[in-house]
Amino acid sequence: MTTKTSEENNQVEMVPELSKKDLNSLFWRSFQMEFSWNYERQASLAYVYAMLPILKKLYKNKEDLSRALKRHLEFFNTTPHIVTMILGISAAMEKQNAEDPKFDESSINTVKASLMGPLAGIGDSFFWGTLRLIATGIGTSLALQGNILGPILFLLVFNVPHIVLRYILTGLGYKMGTGFLRKLQEKGTMGNLTLGASILGLIVIGGMSADMIILNVPLTIGSGDTATPVQEILDGILPGLLPLAAFGIIYWLLGKEVKATTLLIGIALVSILGTWTGIFG
Amino acid sequence: MITALVLGLVAFIAQSEYALGTSLISRPIVTGLLTGIVMGDIKTGLVMGATLELAFIGVFSVGASIPPNVVVGGILGVAFAISSGAGTETALLLGLPIATLALVFENLYLGLALPIFLHKADRYAEEANTRGITFMHLLGGFGMSLMIGSIVAISYYVGGDAVSKVLEAIPGPVQTGLEVATGLIPALGFAMLARLLINKQVVPYFFLGFLIVAYLEIPITGIALLGAIIAVVIVGITQKQTLATNEGGVEDDDEDF
Repeated sequence: MTTKTSEENNQVEMVPELSKKDLNSLFWRSFQMEFSWNYERQASLAYVYAMLPILKKLYKNKEDLSRALKRHLEFFNTTPHIVTMILGISAAMEKQNAEDPKFDESSINTVKASLMGPLAGIGDSFFWGTLRLIATGIGTSLALQGNILGPILFLLVFNVPHIVLRYILTGLGYKMGTGFLRKLQEKGTMGNLTLGASILGLIVIGGMSADMIILNVPLTIGSGDTATPVQEILDGILPGLLPLAAFGIIYWLLGKEVKATTLLIGIALVSILGTWTGIFG
Repeated sequence: MITALVLGLVAFIAQSEYALGTSLISRPIVTGLLTGIVMGDIKTGLVMGATLELAFIGVFSVGASIPPNVVVGGILGVAFAISSGAGTETALLLGLPIATLALVFENLYLGLALPIFLHKADRYAEEANTRGITFMHLLGGFGMSLMIGSIVAISYYVGGDAVSKVLEAIPGPVQTGLEVATGLIPALGFAMLARLLINKQVVPYFFLGFLIVAYLEIPITGIALLGAIIAVVIVGITQKQTLATNEGGVEDDDEDF
């Protein structure tokens, strides 16, 4: 053994430092966070899979390793794109646990459990609501014209920020350890992030609703030369009045707990009926 | 036969997005392109994929809910529509029910098969057998991709003729009606997303976005950039206000449910 003895101040057995390489493996393995997702304990198996190299490095003793493995097989779920933040924190805590025999082992899972909710709250609305929506807006508007850039931009717009964030959060989670999120919550940063993400998300949803919901009325009022298309009158009141009304009705029905599948069938039926009677077209 | 196998392979890769950082390669806009390439009609694949993407926009997993399977629905919807020479509305007409049907298999796998691997992993954890755990994780994940790939390959192989016959039997007015429906279905997705994000404080921003696009016809990229600036400005203003009220000793708690 030729380990340097510069860190003798800890009166404990030698625990190897976690290197950049270990954190990188955490980052790469985190890509599989939903691969073995299941109804029983959701992302737990993938979480252990991500932590494996670090746990193996920290716990040379078979009993300790077994306890650590079982610990991370407990229920876990959060937004997969930013799970590295919690993984980093867990890694930092596991290291302290391996060094300090008095460390409260149960706190590792307590921190995990208390973080996964708030992080999923921000993560789900940002990644699924805001970022994916922007990617879809840009991607579909191109792809609908048959432009191959559509799907490519769709993937880039979503994944470039996603992977950058995933990477940064690995190190950040590890560095800040446990105190970090509590600090964020005290300063109200979490609330601000959620507010900003919802504002951006809603503006984009509003814009896409105006752009991509399509409903036209081919009827006319009057006859002969004085005939005015109803659509022209409606556009005079507000362009996109009918799409907005359709959105409003569906939004309201969703609030009445009407299922999405029921609404889908309803939309199809109303469309068929409307076309058949000549109101829509 | 070969087409069926290649489509199965596309589905296998798309479903494996869960091993690739949940990177959205399973979405119809991506699988539409790939299916178009396999079927030899890239442009139609792109258009159908984008249409299905808009229809499926509300279909994504928040928390623990598993949505209809967009891989199976997207690929088979586009493939059948192209092979029968039908229009975009056909991809939609086929894709949506197929996705819901595939969800049954997916749920069975996630609810019954994967927990078996999980329990095996529990036993490996007891013995500190890390290789065993790794194996269970990978087996569970690839098993799912394999199942989805097989469903697509088999359905395409068996179902092609049957689907064309069913499509021919659909009367004309119904087909035009469904065309109209393709314009309306995105509203469902947008409404579901809005429900996720909305509270009293932010309702006006939906209308702001709508009006800007309705009157000025700005492309979506533009509205996204504008939206980002507005979000930053508003958060800045709110932050100042909260600081001010906190200094006055008043707790301003306007959390909405």
